[in-house]
Amino acid sequence: MSGPPTRSTERLRLEAISKRFGATIALAEAGFEVRAGEIHALLGENGAGKTTLMNVLSGLYHADAGRIWLDGRPAEIAEPRDAIRHRIGMVHQHFELIPPLTALENVIIGQEGSTLLLRRERQARGVAALAARFGFEVDLRAPVAALGLADQQKVEILKAIFRGVDILILDEPTTVLTPQEADALLRTLRTMASEGLSVVFISHKIHEVLGHCDRATVMRAGRSVGTVDASATTEQALVEMMIGERVARTAAPAEREVDDTVLLRVDDVTVAGRGGLPAVSHARFSIGRGEVVGLAGVDGNGQRELVEAIVGLRRVTGGRVELGGRNVTTTAVGDRLAQGLAYIPEDRLGDGALPSMSVAENLFLGVHRLARGGGLTYRPAAIRAGAAAPVRDYAIRGTATTPLGMLSGGNIQKVLIARALAVAGHGDTPLVVAHNPTRGLDVRTTEFVRRCLVDVSRRRGGVFLVSSDLDELMQLAHRILVLFRGAIVADLPSTAFDAYEIGRLMTGAAARA
Amino acid sequence: MSASAVVTLLLDPELWRLMLTMAAPLVLAGLGELVMERSGVLNVGVEGMMAVAAAVAFLTMLKTGTLLGAAAAAMAATLGLAVVLGYFAITLRSAQLTVGLCLFVFGTGLASLLYRLVIGVTTATPTVQTLPRLAVPGLAEVPFLGTVVFTQNALVYLALALVPVLAFLLVETSLGLRLRAAGENPRALDTVGVNVRALRYGAVAVGGLLIGLAGAYLPLAVTGAYSDGIVGGRGWIALMVVIFGRWQPGWALVGAILFAYTEALQFKLALVTKAVPPQVLLMLPYVVAIVVLVRLYQGAEPPRALGLPYERESRL
Repeated sequence: MSGPPTRSTERLRLEAISKRFGATIALAEAGFEVRAGEIHALLGENGAGKTTLMNVLSGLYHADAGRIWLDGRPAEIAEPRDAIRHRIGMVHQHFELIPPLTALENVIIGQEGSTLLLRRERQARGVAALAARFGFEVDLRAPVAALGLADQQKVEILKAIFRGVDILILDEPTTVLTPQEADALLRTLRTMASEGLSVVFISHKIHEVLGHCDRATVMRAGRSVGTVDASATTEQALVEMMIGERVARTAAPAEREVDDTVLLRVDDVTVAGRGGLPAVSHARFSIGRGEVVGLAGVDGNGQRELVEAIVGLRRVTGGRVELGGRNVTTTAVGDRLAQGLAYIPEDRLGDGALPSMSVAENLFLGVHRLARGGGLTYRPAAIRAGAAAPVRDYAIRGTATTPLGMLSGGNIQKVLIARALAVAGHGDTPLVVAHNPTRGLDVRTTEFVRRCLVDVSRRRGGVFLVSSDLDELMQLAHRILVLFRGAIVADLPSTAFDAYEIGRLMTGAAARA
Repeated sequence: MSASAVVTLLLDPELWRLMLTMAAPLVLAGLGELVMERSGVLNVGVEGMMAVAAAVAFLTMLKTGTLLGAAAAAMAATLGLAVVLGYFAITLRSAQLTVGLCLFVFGTGLASLLYRLVIGVTTATPTVQTLPRLAVPGLAEVPFLGTVVFTQNALVYLALALVPVLAFLLVETSLGLRLRAAGENPRALDTVGVNVRALRYGAVAVGGLLIGLAGAYLPLAVTGAYSDGIVGGRGWIALMVVIFGRWQPGWALVGAILFAYTEALQFKLALVTKAVPPQVLLMLPYVVAIVVLVRLYQGAEPPRALGLPYERESRL
């Protein structure tokens, strides 16, 4: 943060940066320009090339072509250390921290001050002063693994400013924060920018960009589409720049046929977690026909455990789970599937699919029991033929025989959705359990996935939607449950949806009150 | 045997001294492996590397008669093997388990071959002078501890001294911090401008030198002769010592001592009792290894990037 903060001075210019990964073109002559003291948003769908472009700037990726200008002079950035030397710092979306090391060690590593001994006390004073100045106070002696995501992010930012930065890049910094924390961060960034720091803010949330950034550069398919002043543009204009065509937003399923038939009842369910503490404690709720029930919570508060307990992948240590009035607490997963319980796991490739097997085989998985016509064998030809309809209906890019792992995240998710809906369609109690079903997907696929889930409820099935995207929950759910440290601390009807209030509950406000 | 006789046997200073003598190669090889693993490189070829070192050390000693030369030749040989491991694991990003296993098989065979090439097949096994014991003046007279700790050979002192040195290095120095980081999250280290590749090569080289010294120790300080199978699983036990020690030098020393104690006890028991067949006694250290590790392996958290090659531009 040196030099006089004159807003119109150009600090950084990226010119015609190109980058390929194998056959994939990640960046095609992308570029933009950042001024001193501004917050500049880099906006675009997933896969648009925002992160790749910034990885080039921070020296992590080597560009195939293009030039970088800093303060009007050409700069050579071939290694991360070059970027550090040019006072460029980046906070990665998936933090680059070393969990067992303390916050202090994570901040000072690489710049320990002396080559031999670590002088922790002296370094701690310097880092603490820096943290206090910008409001990034964290427990410097705590191992990073013990810190929450918001604090880990503070450590990442401290790490960057400890090295001295004129340009700070933040990749999707608000996705891990509650609305309150996000606002606090954005206010701090504004203060830092007013002192001359240039901030590059990668985001796909348009309202953040409009509310907190000076200018925005929109990227699409590896190219920069254009740069606009945030004050002179609209949400609709930005969306059009991002995706190139209009997308109909999924309407909130406000009207719902009142039906008291309970599809799923979770009664006083407790699931053991690590170190003896319950991961889920005494959860109690039910989902009726035609209902979308959302589960909000900061990641890691027991969402995964609760979902896996319902699906049957994790042992329930107390309470019972009922599916369509039948006790299924100890029932095998296969029998639950046969009843119509379908699962869309958070970790698509890890839990949801067999990446090296074909699209057709993945579509068949889970349905295989229901579709068996007798005999011990499945006929490959029949499996392939069965995939034709879903590949067409869900516009899956690829053929029945393409290995699933070769597809993009969005197309993999479409395969999982198609399969889940097939499973739900076969049973008497159609219930789709979806865990972060749109995470990492682009706008178009996100809308498609959401529409599929709404359709399930329209056809009188149930949806249990676990999502870390509050906007998504408020848009789709009829009710939102809030999970905090394994306990359901609130059950809100749609009339009580309020992002700030839910954010408070997610961070344990109810527990403290 | 009466209870007091058993206690006398278990606490016999000579037994404990033998224990430390046998612990030294485990400590040296264990620390070498620990340095490598802390940087993120898994080396399961310790056994093979030690075999090569044992053969080279013995043959050099036999031909030149200089202890330092023998140790240096052995360490140079394992340094070479370590660089091969590093080249595959770090530069070519191969599967480290596979490369390590190859190194084990290759090393075992190479050791045998070298010996045959130089000595040939003979009826009389050639022998060399073993390392002399050095009594530390003054301290050697202390009851029990004097016998156990202070009348050892030089390499035992060196091995024991390396433990606190390495522990200090890991925790209190910049280099140690970077080494730990390389094994936990190499990308994080890379993004702060530290050369991960150089750091890992350095760790592999240091590890190779220590493992070489451990292998040289066996003919030079224990047997005075070379025979195939001289390493006798100590390379594998060194790997276990690292796990036992949860990747901490101090605890690795405790692990090495525990294994060495059972090994020493087995020699001792074979002398005093005829009731148990010696083959069963020979098995003792390995049984302890299995029992202890099955218990300890649960919950042991290795460095997160252990065995994972690092590539800056991989998009994972």
